[in-house]
Amino acid sequence: MAKERKRRQPADAPPPGDDDEGRDHRREKKLRKERPDPVLPSQIKNKDKRKEVHAKLKREKKAQKRKLARERGQAAQRAPPEKQVPRTIENTREPDETVCRPDDQELFAGNDADEFNAVLKQQTTPKVLITTCRFNSGKGPAFIEELMQVIPNSCYVKRGTYELKKIVEYANNRDFTSLVVVHTNRREPDALLIINLPDGPTAHFKLSKLILRKDIKNHGNPTSHKPELVLNNFTTRLGHRVGRMIQSLFPQDPNFRGRRVVTFHNQRDYIFFRHHRYIFEMKENKNFSKDKKAKTSESKSQPEKQVICRLQECGPRFTLKLLTLQHGTFDTKNGEYEWVHKPDMDTSRRRFFFPNMSCCPQDVSSNLLPYKGRYHPTAMGLHLIVPALLSIQELIIAGPMFFKAAIASSCAVTAPGSSYSRASACYY
Amino acid sequence: MPRTSVVESPGCPPLRALTTDILGLIKVVEARTKPAGVAKVVETWGTPDAPRAVLAASLADRAVDPVLAVARKNGVVELLNPLNGETLAGVKAAGPAPADSSAGEDPLATLHLFRRHAPDSFMLGTFLTCTEKGKAHVKSVAKENASSDMAVGPSSSWDVSNSGTVQFSSVDAGESYAMFGGKGIEVNLWDITSCSKIWSAKSPRGNSLQIFTAPWFTAGTFLCKDDHRKIVACTNNHQVRLYDTASQRRPVISVDFRESPIKAVAEDPNGHAVYVGTGRGDLASFDMRTVHSGTLPLFPGKLLGCFVGKCSGSIRSIVRHPELPLIASCGLDSYLRIWDTNTRQLLSAVFLKQHLTAVVIDSHFSTEELEESKSKQPDPVEAEAEVRKERKEKKNRMSEADEDGTRMLDHDDSDAEMHTSKRKKSGEKNKGMKKKSKKQQVA
Repeated sequence: MAKERKRRQPADAPPPGDDDEGRDHRREKKLRKERPDPVLPSQIKNKDKRKEVHAKLKREKKAQKRKLARERGQAAQRAPPEKQVPRTIENTREPDETVCRPDDQELFAGNDADEFNAVLKQQTTPKVLITTCRFNSGKGPAFIEELMQVIPNSCYVKRGTYELKKIVEYANNRDFTSLVVVHTNRREPDALLIINLPDGPTAHFKLSKLILRKDIKNHGNPTSHKPELVLNNFTTRLGHRVGRMIQSLFPQDPNFRGRRVVTFHNQRDYIFFRHHRYIFEMKENKNFSKDKKAKTSESKSQPEKQVICRLQECGPRFTLKLLTLQHGTFDTKNGEYEWVHKPDMDTSRRRFFFPNMSCCPQDVSSNLLPYKGRYHPTAMGLHLIVPALLSIQELIIAGPMFFKAAIASSCAVTAPGSSYSRASACYY
Repeated sequence: MPRTSVVESPGCPPLRALTTDILGLIKVVEARTKPAGVAKVVETWGTPDAPRAVLAASLADRAVDPVLAVARKNGVVELLNPLNGETLAGVKAAGPAPADSSAGEDPLATLHLFRRHAPDSFMLGTFLTCTEKGKAHVKSVAKENASSDMAVGPSSSWDVSNSGTVQFSSVDAGESYAMFGGKGIEVNLWDITSCSKIWSAKSPRGNSLQIFTAPWFTAGTFLCKDDHRKIVACTNNHQVRLYDTASQRRPVISVDFRESPIKAVAEDPNGHAVYVGTGRGDLASFDMRTVHSGTLPLFPGKLLGCFVGKCSGSIRSIVRHPELPLIASCGLDSYLRIWDTNTRQLLSAVFLKQHLTAVVIDSHFSTEELEESKSKQPDPVEAEAEVRKERKEKKNRMSEADEDGTRMLDHDDSDAEMHTSKRKKSGEKNKGMKKKSKKQQVA
């Protein structure tokens, strides 16, 4: 009905402010003089006449439509319409007061005093012990094998029937800095426990969506170089602490020659793990410019060369969700918790405990020191990494935040000679 | 439909609380707007320095000349002015340690600053400390030679226990008895003046399987203001126990609360309720009245209710406001939270960035005082003290009427609250009456 009205509108009453208005009116008047009441073509019985009238009407309508379209186009050129930002859960999330600020002296003092400081300041090298739950089978052993390739300087110790507290003691005696326990249930790894040694904290993660290397199409095989680390969006105090904990699993001096990168991307409280290799290649830039004359004269003679980055995923791929963060080493009975997820905290879908960059402006997060200098800006690589992380399903889950991150990081990185601090924007 | 239920904090009445954290900072949180307002950090004292982390704090909450004592990780007890953060004295309180290394091994566990105070004396304050290995000290600090690091006056020390770790101590309202307990140490009661142990608890009998759990006490307090014989002690084994030192050595009531160790306890001035906080961030209040008179159909150790909300980390410290129906809790989730004890609703939460260790409430704070001190610019501290004095006198004069007024205002007062006002008016004897009134209400 509405459509019909719209279609009919221009013929019946042309919009005001029209420069052809006068002429249209005249024509209409003439028509009206000939036929006082407007006759529909369908009412005309003579076929030739009917055709003629119909064709005329049709022409008028078409002209009107074209004119409107032209006007619209001109208006858009004069003032481009505001791009509509979709309302997503990320950008309508509840504001969080616990987000780290770069001007916060207490944050840095707290960092200097915390348990990860020795490793992160490179006073000690990280040494990681990996063990399992008591009954380890199915995907567990394969996962551990891959995890050991991801984390340098890690070794597997058979769990046997020892209590976890005994294993913590054992690892302490041998100067391990972290302990990772992979818990399997029904032959599927379903939980990950990271214990910082010698005195805590202990993070308990739920592990889901595990895909091993052999199940990834076109996967690569990682080298034994020390990987680079990308930590995205660990902005709140809790996120910051967990981020530092994850960071302390890896050596702080990556071999950039290895071109191996490990990513922990946090989004809506889920931490996505990915592991990639990358390579830089020179590629001719096909310059499709609009004026062909310029192209023929200049760029044909010397084709522009551009560095591009190709990525290859070398698994595993999994998702973590923090369940508890315990003060001190593993102790379920007497333990004190720094953070426990409780159902009554979920008062809103828009409340997250490790928020995203949307609430932490770029320029602010870029100055945040904790991960500064940690990550080597892989020239143009990074903006390719982020889309490459996504499968279709993840795109649906992740929404536009990933792309925002990608775009932000690409701006930050592609400028040659951009400082590390600028590039570190992408971690948050 | 998106699940969205906004939890709103209605704001808390004028209040001043001081919190201490693991970086050795002391933060002052105030709510200033009159009927209800948002609590905010107004001042931060000290510089962040991890070796000076505060382990315990105690406030001599007086109208005139209040003093805040903090026990630091390096074994120093500092006395501060809680109005402006000025350091009055710093005393090495880790005992007569032969070397610094041994003092480092034996950090202070508890601290209590005595409130009774002669205003014209030259003493700054007297405090009781206890180290983790059980060395208790009472020390006094004089005003003059605060800098010379010498304790003057009645100083005494004793050993609470030879084995185990002391985790809490508590001093009764009359400040003549102190109680200690900890991992491997049964609750024991000491007379401070004579430095002698007057009572110690006995473990409850083993269960039907004859399984005996080793004592591990994590928090304790005296239940009533005017009675040092009733003790509430909480265990690591998530039990809240009531001991009556006059009757027996085993607990009179023992209640389980959830599944994680209880880390903090505070008593209510009404003399029968306690607030407990656990290692997983659960906060609840219990009624610890016993049933021995028989007329009251009361379930002993009744859980009055939980303070549900966003508390996500271990609770390290709980304080009850002496006059207003409020409690403040803080802990490892680095929030200071202020709750209403009647409705058990969260009034205000303040994010304080570090793991907090202790909170104290300055009950002599009011908004009038602020304005007046502002108008009298030259010496705000003195002015404030004066105003405080005036206020106190006024309060003493009007206390009865005032109290009734405030009580009437709160419509959702529980009957417990009614009891307190009655109790305050007519003293000790009306225990029977109280029960009768309750009975009437029930009927």
